[in-house]
Amino acid sequence: MTELAHDAMQAADEIEIDPGEVDQIIAATGGRPEDLISILRAFQERYSYLPEAALRRLCETTGISPATVTGVATFYHQFRMKPAGRHTIRVCIGTACHVKGASGVFDAFKQYLGISEDEDTDVDRLFTVEKVACLGCCMLAPAVQIDDLTYGHLSPQKVPRVLRDFLASFRQTAEARAGRAAPAGAQVAGEIRMCLCSSCVAAGARGVYDEFRRQIAAAGISATLKVVGCTGISWQAPLVEVALPDGRIFRYGRLAPQDVRAVLLRHFRPTSAARRAGAAAFGLLERLLTDQAWEPVTRYAVDVRDDSAHQYHTRQKQIATEHAGHMDPLDLDDYIRHAGFEALKRCRDGLSPETLIDEITRSGLRGRGGAGFSTGAKWAAVRAAAGDTKYIISNGDEGDPGAFMDRMILESFPLRVIEGAAIAAWAVGASKGFFYIRAEYPLAARRVRKALEICEARGIIGENAMGTGMPLHFGVAQGAGAFVCGEETALIKAIEGRRGMPRLRPPYPSQEGLWGKPTLVNNVETLALVPWILRHGPEAFAEIGTESSSGTKTFALAGKVARGGLIEVPMGTTLREIVEDIGAGVPDDQKLKAVQVGGPSGGCVPADLIDTPVDYEALSSAGAIMGSGGLVVLDETNCMVDVARYFLRFTQMESCGKCTFCRIGTKRMLEVLERLCEGDGKPGDIEELEHLAHITQEGSLCGLGRTAPNPVLSTIKAFRSEYEAHIEGYCPAKSCKALITYVITDDCIGCTRCAQRCPAEAIAVTPYRKHEIDPEKCTRCDTCRQVCPSDAVIIESGPRAGPPDTKRGTDTPTLLNIPTGKGH
Amino acid sequence: MARLTIDNRSVDVPAGGTILDGARALGIEIPTLCFREGVEHFGSCMVCVVQEMNSGRLIPSCSAVAVDGMVIETANNEVRDSRKTALELLLGDHVGDCEAPCRRICPAHMNIPLMIRQIAAGKLRDAIITVKKDIALPAVLGRICPAPCEKGCRRSLYDGPVAIRLLKRFAADTDLAAESPWLPPPKSATGRKVAVIGAGPAGLATAYYLLQEGHACTVFDDHDKPGGMLRLGVDRERLPEGVLDAEIETIAHLGADFRMNTKVGRDVQIEDLQRDFDALVIAVGEIADGAAAAFGVEAAMHGAKVNPATLQAAGGAVFAAGSAVQPSRLAVRAVADGKRAAASLSQFLADKEVNAPGKRFDSKMGPLIEGEIDEFAKENDAADLVVPSAAGGGFSLDEAVSQAHRCLHCDCRKADYCALRRYADEYQARQERYRGTERREFERILQHSDVVYEPGKCIKCGLCVRITRQAGERLGLTFIGRGFDLRIGVPFDESFAVGLEKTAAECVRACPSGALSFKQEEV
Repeated sequence: MTELAHDAMQAADEIEIDPGEVDQIIAATGGRPEDLISILRAFQERYSYLPEAALRRLCETTGISPATVTGVATFYHQFRMKPAGRHTIRVCIGTACHVKGASGVFDAFKQYLGISEDEDTDVDRLFTVEKVACLGCCMLAPAVQIDDLTYGHLSPQKVPRVLRDFLASFRQTAEARAGRAAPAGAQVAGEIRMCLCSSCVAAGARGVYDEFRRQIAAAGISATLKVVGCTGISWQAPLVEVALPDGRIFRYGRLAPQDVRAVLLRHFRPTSAARRAGAAAFGLLERLLTDQAWEPVTRYAVDVRDDSAHQYHTRQKQIATEHAGHMDPLDLDDYIRHAGFEALKRCRDGLSPETLIDEITRSGLRGRGGAGFSTGAKWAAVRAAAGDTKYIISNGDEGDPGAFMDRMILESFPLRVIEGAAIAAWAVGASKGFFYIRAEYPLAARRVRKALEICEARGIIGENAMGTGMPLHFGVAQGAGAFVCGEETALIKAIEGRRGMPRLRPPYPSQEGLWGKPTLVNNVETLALVPWILRHGPEAFAEIGTESSSGTKTFALAGKVARGGLIEVPMGTTLREIVEDIGAGVPDDQKLKAVQVGGPSGGCVPADLIDTPVDYEALSSAGAIMGSGGLVVLDETNCMVDVARYFLRFTQMESCGKCTFCRIGTKRMLEVLERLCEGDGKPGDIEELEHLAHITQEGSLCGLGRTAPNPVLSTIKAFRSEYEAHIEGYCPAKSCKALITYVITDDCIGCTRCAQRCPAEAIAVTPYRKHEIDPEKCTRCDTCRQVCPSDAVIIESGPRAGPPDTKRGTDTPTLLNIPTGKGH
Repeated sequence: MARLTIDNRSVDVPAGGTILDGARALGIEIPTLCFREGVEHFGSCMVCVVQEMNSGRLIPSCSAVAVDGMVIETANNEVRDSRKTALELLLGDHVGDCEAPCRRICPAHMNIPLMIRQIAAGKLRDAIITVKKDIALPAVLGRICPAPCEKGCRRSLYDGPVAIRLLKRFAADTDLAAESPWLPPPKSATGRKVAVIGAGPAGLATAYYLLQEGHACTVFDDHDKPGGMLRLGVDRERLPEGVLDAEIETIAHLGADFRMNTKVGRDVQIEDLQRDFDALVIAVGEIADGAAAAFGVEAAMHGAKVNPATLQAAGGAVFAAGSAVQPSRLAVRAVADGKRAAASLSQFLADKEVNAPGKRFDSKMGPLIEGEIDEFAKENDAADLVVPSAAGGGFSLDEAVSQAHRCLHCDCRKADYCALRRYADEYQARQERYRGTERREFERILQHSDVVYEPGKCIKCGLCVRITRQAGERLGLTFIGRGFDLRIGVPFDESFAVGLEKTAAECVRACPSGALSFKQEEV
């Protein structure tokens, strides 16, 4: 680790505070109270943490009180009080990653870097390991982000390789970033379209994109390389679309940089210099396309006529994500060519706010953030509220683990969201608005900022918005890691630069919002639907969907599903259609167990209710909620008690701590769930959970606490026997570590691979003989099962044979009392 | 202006006013912890919930703006249950003891910590008043009591328990040696008469407390001197006769009429007593099997059959105390019984319902976690372990004062005026209901010269945060962190001494629990 130590020395040198520099940072961000979070973000960006000296200087120069600074700095998760390592490893613990083993990956990083339990940074201060609620690339689960590089499909064994790869690529960064410009002035023979949204980048799109640039330049090909909004087909990312002048379109899925040359040479003529090499490459491509033995054969799921991809799309209806895959997110003219800003023009050209609100009301549009309140009614309330100064906020604090719709929309269609927001501002009479974007979405924030600049430059917004003579200004406000800020009263506090603690409603923000003024808070997706409604008319929108839920809804489809990604379906589509037709069902010969809808505020719809349509009321009667649209598919290997614990751990961690019921109630519920998963459950625990769930629902101040018990209640309702099994000491899904045991069957061929890979030395090397696992040493990391070439490692869990082992502690679960004989 | 109905009464609340405002205007009591008049409302403790009947929702009345047409109920079962649950959630996470372990263990429930602090402050007259509130014969018990209190003393985990028994003895001896020993001021005579049968510790204590209440008291005993087992069963060296005589003398001073050499059943008949007195107390010591009938009461397994809480026999006018109820060698138990019997008798003689006073809510933090004792000891770890130097084993004044300084103040400084405790009593909240798997560690922050901060008792109501902000404290207090680990602290981890420059007293007074308290209380 000498190289690491060297890097660490440099890191340590950086932490030194120059008051002048602090002042500069403050000046660059603005020194008003509402700039506090931005200033702190800037400090952290500069120093890797919030140095006290900088904070004190901030208080002196801005007059923001020390109490406020300390309060805010310690409220938001992303702010650190200790120096971070030079690089940050963010292990996603979103739902999809969790169900695919993220906690093992997290442990493996810490173990490999020698970081003790209470620390997050290695002694050389090279790496800081953090958990992050959701990176929003659920199809790559388990996923990890190291600085701005994302690694997907991780396992504990891959950790050392990932770190080596990262350090290698980090050293090459300067070279790689230099890049090369695309050839200018050449006659364009086609367009190569690629999405560079966070999900696609996480899947490796950046490398493919860079390789296209390199190859286009090297081979002198006259093709335009265009960054477009995401198709949402995450399961095939990185996805490249080649559009030829004759109108033919070819799609390549799961592309790697080494495939780029072959793709280019298939469609474009290289200059003579590169031709000879090209012919060979072309041959290679042909071979790959037909050679079934090529390992990741799905890498070439070539074109739209491919049956499965076809199904993926025909079930969908794209409104919020209209023109996905061929529109440049930041090309205003491109957007205008696709009917962009036509809806806003209708407003400018005399559509009265009253008529506009009436149209939105008649369309039946309901808030897509979760609760489903009528958008028209909300607009009307803000319009009717007294006062000249009104605000509009686009709520992009999408924090549900397993949900990334808003991020995709903001990254791929920032102009559409801006248009929706401008229309909403027009409707309610607001001249100032904010795009609140969660901290974990830096690209979304960058693109929205850029899109706002573009719009301002073209007079769409600004002092004389659309030539109306009326001002319309938008700002971008970024969070710093607090799920609760998705709650509108907390979100408003965050924009004001305060701790995001919700308050009792009423008064609703429509009466008393930002800085006490009437404020419209709409979800990103809601706003993205608005332009379409104005262009096609409310009736057209209302025609789509069901009686009570009109239009479309986007979902982040992930978990145990063959094809996941961002989808947009008409309301009324059944969960079965989503899972089976769009998602192509549960992979690996597993059976569907449940679909988790709505994230930590939602619930699990069991497999026997899979024909439930996507509709606010239908979902809630099935035990879930529409929520913001996380849709995680669970199979028989997922333990429902663990799923409940997972969500509760999330809400408990995200509770702001203000009201008694949420602060303590969620903690007590979590303790019971932890107990169950650790094998320490006792009779009465289920009833106690139900009781705690009930009081937390009833008594909590805001939506976070009131809905936090939903995942628990819905799983108890549909899977009570699984809870009972945990009390009896076993886990039917064979997932809870404390309740399972690994066993090697007679299928063992004595290859020693498991013994060599076991990190706990729980398997003795006995070549050519059947191996055995020492249950005392086994940490249930699953490595042996994954590496066994003959599937001889199995997991067992069954009811206790004897009385409960009272000696068993929670720290070091021993499993001696669990029968290790026959499976159950 | 909003017109709403609260508990079926109509009230007008000015625009922007809350439901709580309306309730207070009507004189309806609503419990609050995080709310304080003059400080911006916050709405966190959820103890002030009321139910809005149109929606059925439970809402915090301190923050809920009154809206025209609201129908509010403030005291229905659902509301009371919810308040109780909120209190129980808070209490389950409350790290602290209302009462000190020593006092809890004492059969007489004597306020030991208060006595100790009074001795430490040199307020010896106050100390004996504290002692005699619960112990009728402190000079006696100061010599013979096996001192269960000292076994509960937390300081024994550090360097040995506080010598509570000797401190009590010191207080009592000092009092007896005074020119005029303290006598409780008796209330005016009630005209009621009680016959106490037996002049042992139980009978003497009963008489002592009955006389204070203004009831006439005649004590019958077949021995020639009062004292019972104290005189007959105790080694004279441990308990010199002069000490016993002196304490009995104070009881005689209060007006006890001792009829010695008078055996009930021989010299005087029980029927006569029943006729001549308004009530009888059986304090004859251990009763032989079946002999209870001679006193006109049923026999129980060990003695007279009485209600164990009130010590009243089914007959009504007969009570029993001490070993007559349950044989015991513990004089302090007999003395404690005497006080209880007297309290029940007073109710009976006043024609009130006889019911034992309910125990106050008492938060318990349970056994200490390793290392926690140091947190307790840091307030006075330098105090020496002193042993009496004088022959006979009593403390000198200096010795007593320095011994008293060894007390760790396990009891809460705000036990008597803590809102959380008051509501816990009112709503019969149970601390055990929502106990967590692991409790937080006890912490006692002594940085401020006048204020003690014990974070484990904080209910995160934020009143102090708002008060310091409103008053423009230079640093003030702030919320730190969030969620279950939310806590109150001074910005930049500075000392409370600089956090609370102007508002220390106001914050202590506003704090609804014992989290913030004055270092020096009135003793």
